This record gives sequence, structure tokens and C-alpha cells, in this order.
Amino acid sequence: MRLISIRLCNFRQFYGKTPEIYLASGTRNTTVIHGNNGAGKTTLLNAFTWALYERFTAAFASPELLVNKRAIAQANVGTSIDCHVEIQFEHETKRYQVKRQCYAWQNSEGKIEYGSSKLFMKVAGDDGRWMIPTEQPEDIIGRILPESLHQYFFFDGERIDHIFRSEQKSRIAEDTKELLGVKVLDRAVEHLKKAKKTLGDELKTIGDSATKKLLREQGKLEQQKERVLKRQGEIETECAALDVLKQQVNERLRELSGSAELQSLKLELEQQEKGLRENLGRAKGNLRHLISASSYTVFTGALTGEFRGVLLGLRERGALPSGIKQRFVEQLLREGYCICGTPLEGGSGAYEAVQDWLNRAGMADVEEAAIRLEAQVGELEQQIPQFWQRVDYEQGQIQQWRSQLARVEGELDTVQEKLRTYPDENIQGLQKRLDETESQIRSLLLEQGGNQQEIERLQGAIADCQKQVDKHKLKEEKQALAQRRIQVTQEAIARLIEVRSRLEQQFRLSLESRVQEIFATISFTPYFPRLSPDYELSLMENTSGIAVPVAASTGENQILSLSFIGGIIDRVREWSQENTLMGPDSSTFPIVMDSPFGSLDEIYRRHVARAIPQLANQLVVLVSKTQWRGEVAEEMAQYIGKQYVLVYYSPKPDCEVDQITLGTVTYPLVQTSDSPYEYTEIKVVEGRE
Amino acid sequence: MKIKADLKKVQEPIQNADPEVQEVIKRVLVLEKDKLYTKNPRNINDDILTIIKQVVQ
Repeated sequence: MRLISIRLCNFRQFYGKTPEIYLASGTRNTTVIHGNNGAGKTTLLNAFTWALYERFTAAFASPELLVNKRAIAQANVGTSIDCHVEIQFEHETKRYQVKRQCYAWQNSEGKIEYGSSKLFMKVAGDDGRWMIPTEQPEDIIGRILPESLHQYFFFDGERIDHIFRSEQKSRIAEDTKELLGVKVLDRAVEHLKKAKKTLGDELKTIGDSATKKLLREQGKLEQQKERVLKRQGEIETECAALDVLKQQVNERLRELSGSAELQSLKLELEQQEKGLRENLGRAKGNLRHLISASSYTVFTGALTGEFRGVLLGLRERGALPSGIKQRFVEQLLREGYCICGTPLEGGSGAYEAVQDWLNRAGMADVEEAAIRLEAQVGELEQQIPQFWQRVDYEQGQIQQWRSQLARVEGELDTVQEKLRTYPDENIQGLQKRLDETESQIRSLLLEQGGNQQEIERLQGAIADCQKQVDKHKLKEEKQALAQRRIQVTQEAIARLIEVRSRLEQQFRLSLESRVQEIFATISFTPYFPRLSPDYELSLMENTSGIAVPVAASTGENQILSLSFIGGIIDRVREWSQENTLMGPDSSTFPIVMDSPFGSLDEIYRRHVARAIPQLANQLVVLVSKTQWRGEVAEEMAQYIGKQYVLVYYSPKPDCEVDQITLGTVTYPLVQTSDSPYEYTEIKVVEGRE
Repeated sequence: MKIKADLKKVQEPIQNADPEVQEVIKRVLVLEKDKLYTKNPRNINDDILTIIKQVVQ
């Protein structure tokens, strides 16, 4: 963050709008603002913290009374007074304008009421066009210079050691870690852990993989199917063999004298039986076909009736062509005779009556379609009695074949019985064998039917199994992926924790060494700062060979604190250049410092004055006349880019005026006010000292 | 110089990680940094889950 300018409007002592106060940067990076006590130095410091963070420093009394009293008093009752602070700053390649605004007004009872403050922001990119950002202004500022760290950049020099008082120590560690990006790491770890848990839950919902079990089951089913199929093959072979045997026995029976007649009768009957069964099967097939193809016609009776009714209605209303073709009527008119023989002469009543049909005949297409439809519906109606006739016929056939079959079976039974009881034992034996063979064939055929059913069942089960296997394979892939994701997350967590621990350790050491360097350049004591793992800052001395803590004076504590701030700025800057992943985006830090030389004596003042312009990229110091002494002015001279004087106007008639001489010009510091109100004006110091 | 080198070492665990782990870490850190000072960081858990799922496919 590089501060460009600040402008105040009715903010505390500053009546109306101040001119834009431009702040120095670059090689001459220091802006000095001179002012006596009460002139508004602390107000100016707080203008920065209020505008950016809505915060105030400890030395800023009555922060609720922000609006200039003169402005309120001069306004009409109920009229709002605008109080705001505008800051312009640059960050990376963008320019930001931040404005915090609040209103105050006097109510009818003479009491002053305040509205809440609002923050506005505009951003300009490389093209210089100012836009309102989509993000919250607070969020943008927070990212550039976090609120929790503002006290390191905007502070009161006299109270700087307060920041490091014991009750604040834990916050310092936290704040510093935040600036380094440890908080980013912590949050990343915390959220990655949550993500890992979610991934774990997802893994559970994917469920156990049962692919292997399913594959085993499928294998079993396939084996069963194989077995049944094999058995089917065996049955077929056995049946064929039994058929051959049956034929042979039949042959022998015919050969045996005496039974020959019976045997040939039997064979003939068997032949007949076979033929009848075939006929019966065919008739049943015909009936099935008939029902599936034409039985619907039976249900169309009501519909065709309805259709005809609709058609008739349409015809009567003249909405449908009459059924006479236009061309036919035209022909009649051309020939001059009606079909009844009446001559059709142009203009006659008959001619007109026929001509009238021409109009009613309508469109040829519609006419044709209606006629076709009517014909088809007519056909449908005719099909119904045809259907019933054929059904009756086929049922009659079935009946006939059945009764013939029953007769043939009966005869066959009689012949077989005769053969069984035939006086010749050989014949009896053969017939018995034949009976046995037939019974075997029957039982084999039964088994075959059962097996066929079993095969169909197994095939269904195998297909189901296959479907499930496919589903589980998909699950397995998902599981593997979820597990890999969990692993990667776990590793990311472990590595981030390691980075965090290294960062804390290394950064603290690096910060400590820098704080020691800065402290050594300012202080003439042999003391050196030490930074504990909790970022507790203490002063040590080592004159006896062993490092022991020393009781630091207020001045030394101030120097220690300044060294710490300088060290942090320096190291964070270095870290942010080194690391863009977790470190801050900022590598430019301003310091706005009120009363920087607090209770320091001459040597320390000189050293601090020499050191601070180098600590930050940009420095704004707010000093009183007594603080701006020879040695300070001397040390800072080469860094001063801009200077301002706060002129305090006192309503006290006999107030003691005061002034300051900068270079060759004398500027007023305290003057008598021309109104009953006190206020402050800001004046630019022209040229450099 | 030593301190600078030590600070470089801080990032080693990230730099030496497998590409997938590195990618997840980098994207998560960018997201976290982006939302660090946001008053209501919404959907950060979902966003992180999405990062992991996008990176590890």
C-alpha cells in the first residue's frame, strides 16, 4: 500500500474541506506534519485509522464526537452535516479511493445526533477509469493491509511500547503470523481436514465392494447352466436311442406270426395318432393367429356406428362433401343431361339444381379421403362376421381332431392290450418292452421340459448377476478414486503443517536477527532484543558471558518496539517477495506515526530520526515544535518529500500565538480565531528545508 | 544470506510434493488467501472439495 493523499471534511478540528494532503514517497519518502498540541496531529492519525478500519488510537479522546462543532452549530436545526475522510492509495497497479462518511445534525432540542458511518470505495486500473468494486471495500482493504495489523503501521510513538505490553503479547504473535500467512496455512489445514472427512463419508456411501462375491456367484450359475445343457444333450441322445429301440421292437412284433395283423393295425393307428396330433396343433395355431390378428374387429362395432353418425351429421350440415365428385357434376353440366335424363340447359331450374351440387362437392381431396375412410370402415364391419366364421371353423376342427384322436387312442389301447395279453409269450414280452421304452421316453421328455425351464431361469439369473458386477466394477473405480483423493488431501495437510512449523521457526529467527540489527543501530546500550517462540520481545545483555534479561527503560522500550515494527516490515516484505502463495500481497508498507520521539533524549532522537525513514517504504510523521529539534530535522532532511503545518485558530481573545520557522519561512502554529469556534487549517510548506 | 536461504527452505515441503498434491496445495492457498479477510467466506468447504476432485481424477 502506497498512500497518495488524504483529505478531511468537517472531521474534528478541520472545518469544511481541507485541501488534498499529498504524501511523499520514493527516495524522499517522508512527509512531516507540524502542529502544536491540540492542533490535530492525533486527529490526522485517526483520520487514517477511521477511514480505513473505523478504529481509533488510544490517545484519541471522545471518538464519538467526530463532526466539526462549528459546522454543526452553523447549520439549521435538522440539517445534516457531512463529515468524511477521503484517502487515495495505490496498491500494485491499481489506484483506490476510500471514503468513510458520517452525518451529524442538531435536533429540535439542541442535542446533536450522529448517524452511522459508511465506507465507499472506487478503484481505477491502468486505463484510469474509476469503478466501484464488486467486493466489499472492507474486504479489499483487509487483503491489502489487514485490520488486525493496522496498529503497526498507524501508531502513536509515545504509546508504541503499549502495543508490546504483556496483555497484548499473545496478539502480537497472532498478528505477525497472520501477516506472514500462517493464518492462511491454518485455514487451509482446517478446511482440508473437513474436505477429507467429507471424502471419507463419500467413500462409505459408495459401499463395500462385492464384485468378487458376485463374480463367484455368476460362475456357479454358469456351471449349473452347463450341467443342465449337458443333461439336455444326453436326454436327446437317450430319446433317439429309445426311438430306435422302439422301432426295432415294433419291427420284431410285426415279424412274429400271429401278431402281425395286430401290429400293423397298431402302427397304422399310431400313424393316425401322429397325424391327428399334428392337425390339432395346426388348428390351435391357426386359432391363436386369428385371435391375435383380427379379434380387435369385434370391438369396433360401437365405434363404426359412432363414425357413421358423425359423418352423416357432417354431410347433413353440408360440412362434408356429398359423396359426389366435382368432376362428375361438371361432366353432367357439360353434357347437358342429368343422370335421370332431365336436360340441363343453362339458366334452367334443373341446371341450377345440379350446379348447386358443384359447390357442395367441395374439395376433391377431402371428398376422396372421406369416401376412402367410409369404405375402409365398411370393410372393417364386414370383417367381424368373417372373423366369427373362421373362429367357429377352427374350433370345429379342433373338436373334430380331438374326438378322432380320442377314438384312435382308444383303439390303440385296445390293440396294445391285446398284444400284452397275447397268448404268445414272446409277443407279450416285446409289447411289455415297448411299453417300458415308451414310459422311459415320456419321463425323459418330462425331464427335458423341466430342464428347459431351469435353463431359462439360470440365464435370467446370470444376466442379473452380470448387471450387478458391472455396477460394482464402477463402484470399485469410484472407491479407488475416493481413496486416492483422501490420500492426496492427507498429504497436502501434512505438508502444510510442516510448512507452517518451518515458517514459524525460520521467520521468528530471521525476524529476531533483523530486530537486533535495527536495535543496535539506534541504541548505544550493549543490550540485544530476543524474540521468544511466543513472540515475546525482551531485552537481554551478555556482558557477563551469559545472556540475562535487563529492565528496559521507557525510551529503550520505545526503541525496541520501533525496531520490532521495522523488523516486521522488512521481513514481511522479503517474505512476500519470496512467497506469493501464503504471504501478503503487499511488499510496500507505510508508517504513519504520531509523536515519534516520545520521551527520547537527544542521542536516541537522532538515531530514531535516522532509522525510521529507512524502516518503511513511506513515512508520515506528525510532530510538535518541541519534537522537531535540530538533530531530528537534520537527520530527516534528506528524506523529506513534503511538509505541512497545522494552524490552530483559537477563539480565546488573548491567546498566545506561536509559529515555526522552516527553512527561511515562518509559519503560524497558533492564531486567534475570527469566529467563536476553534478550528485548524492545513498549510503546505513550499520547497524543502 | 543464510536467513534468506532458510526462508526458502520453508516452502520445500510444497515444492517437493507430487504434482497433484502441489496443485491442491497451491489452489487451496490461493483460495484461502483470497477469502482470508472476507467477512462471510461462503462455500469455502465446497470449493476446496471441488479443487481436490478436479485435481485428482
